[in-house]
Amino acid sequence: MPGKDPALSAALDAQAREIADVFGDAGYELVEPRILQPADIFLERAGEEIRQRTYVFSDPGGAMLCLRPDLTVPTCRYYLERGPGDGSEARYRYHGPAFRYQPAGEDGMHPREFEQAGIEYFGGRDAEAAEVEVATLGIAAVERAGLTDYRIRLGDLGLFSALLRAVPMPERWRRRLMHHFWRPHAFRETLTRLASPRPAPAGEAASLLQQLKGADPARARELVGDMLAASGTPLFGGRGIDEIAERLLDKVRDLDARPLDRAAANAIESYLAVRGHPREALATVTDLAARSAIDIDAALAACDRRLTLLADQGVDLDRSLFSAEFGRNLEYYTGFVFQIEVDGRRGAVPLAGGGRYDGLMQDIGANGPIPAVGCAIHTERLLVAVRGEAAS
Amino acid sequence: MSSRLVLALPSKGRLMDNSVALLERAGYAVEGNGGRGYRGTLGGLDDVEIAFLPAGEIAQQLAAGAVHLGITGVDLIGEYAEARQGAVEIRARLGFGHADVVVAVPRAWLDVETMADLDEVSATFYQAHGRRLRVATKYPNLTRRFFAAKGVTGYLVVDSLGATEGAPAAGTAEVIVDITSTGSTLRANWLKVLADGVILRSEAVLASAGIAGLGRGARSAFAVLCEALARIPAENRPQP
Repeated sequence: MPGKDPALSAALDAQAREIADVFGDAGYELVEPRILQPADIFLERAGEEIRQRTYVFSDPGGAMLCLRPDLTVPTCRYYLERGPGDGSEARYRYHGPAFRYQPAGEDGMHPREFEQAGIEYFGGRDAEAAEVEVATLGIAAVERAGLTDYRIRLGDLGLFSALLRAVPMPERWRRRLMHHFWRPHAFRETLTRLASPRPAPAGEAASLLQQLKGADPARARELVGDMLAASGTPLFGGRGIDEIAERLLDKVRDLDARPLDRAAANAIESYLAVRGHPREALATVTDLAARSAIDIDAALAACDRRLTLLADQGVDLDRSLFSAEFGRNLEYYTGFVFQIEVDGRRGAVPLAGGGRYDGLMQDIGANGPIPAVGCAIHTERLLVAVRGEAAS
Repeated sequence: MSSRLVLALPSKGRLMDNSVALLERAGYAVEGNGGRGYRGTLGGLDDVEIAFLPAGEIAQQLAAGAVHLGITGVDLIGEYAEARQGAVEIRARLGFGHADVVVAVPRAWLDVETMADLDEVSATFYQAHGRRLRVATKYPNLTRRFFAAKGVTGYLVVDSLGATEGAPAAGTAEVIVDITSTGSTLRANWLKVLADGVILRSEAVLASAGIAGLGRGARSAFAVLCEALARIPAENRPQP
């Protein structure tokens, strides 16, 4: 791509002013985070989809850098390093270039280099109110830019984690399932494994676990130490004997633990298959929880309140779709997620999207979780979509 | 790009010797000095130019479309060419240069036997040590793809320039992804391969990139070489 011609630049500039008006009028302060960013946080937290598409390189000093694949992480870093950083409220807007490799080649809908416009709302104490504020502004911005025919896809990772918390199982199983939410295949495998009788361990592991049966942590450490000493195996790789022994004890406990209740496993699977009109989907989930005697009332109430607030703000729920699975592509989301999309030739094309990501700040250096909700617009795509509408 | 067909051959070691021997068995003598020269020709096929390159570079040049045919490893094609979907095609497996690309961890990690174990360790390592689990490798792309498919996250890839297998003992990484043919180097370094940690089984292959823009003579040489090397009977192949 040689670059933008003056007509395209002018159209994008005009669109940028409309979007900036919407965000600016709502009190969001303009920030300009750096384009060059340290690579690791993106590579570790953004999930495989973004990771494989990030331009990573080392500079002459040996530092691993990347061209930012989105502006959310850079804006979080700005908040931590230049902003309050302490969890107090801040509302930022941004507009600037982001970069993503396009494995199938570049086109108007999939540029390698694009302008992202968006907002991040940090430290909002009223969770649903913050989520609705951000989503409503995102919708207002794309409408101001001229988009009329679109669909809103909604999801809620909070509902999913509430479901996992409510189903009785050892905490480490819960962690494992939560961890795999973003990888449907690994998730299903893990769920099936947890709900099945454990296979007897074979080979070396079998005798090891047998010896550890009934051992307390101190005894387990001793056994592991003896075993390594007996074979002369040096201990390296950062982990201590205590960590190795502790995980071996977990494995022994897993062997003895009753498999995950079949009905509960089915309820989790059924939940992930829920999709439809947000109100109907919520009713389905409520029903599912009641039938399986799973108490997720608080999460359901939050979801209900959010939908009411969205409707109060004039968001048309009839053109919204709730999908329990939605949110599986960006790992840092922790709660409400949404996307503004249009139908393309090969399925839904996202034009804008965002959600809640309360854990990200801590991952990049904050002392604890900081409430965060954001929304980003893919401005080139939005322009293509608006022009397509105008043409048809 | 010249109008001649560019065939890239490994520029050193057994991979070069075996490639040259294979072509000779197929009836085409490699002319030009692999070890010292960078270019050569193929006796019997006028439209072919030989480029001697490191095997990794052959995979990259194929992906970039700068050479038309090349002998290199499956591992290197996976590492350098797979992100460019469909750009490089494997034409024939050549039966030498066998080795596996594997995930290996310290043998002292008695609790880690599978990729699922590694994932759990990776998830908790940060909490316990305040830094990410490091994976040393010359195959960052293969590593990321394989780890993603197995659901492993939260690790850091560390580029390995020299002897990867020494990284865990040296304290520059905890885990490695490396190529091994017998496993003896791994054992000597107190490492073990995870049960489901074989990323791929590699061997030398003839691979091709697009040949658009080539003249008729070069195109027919392309077809002739692909066919000839695919047809070498197994017993005539160089011994691994």
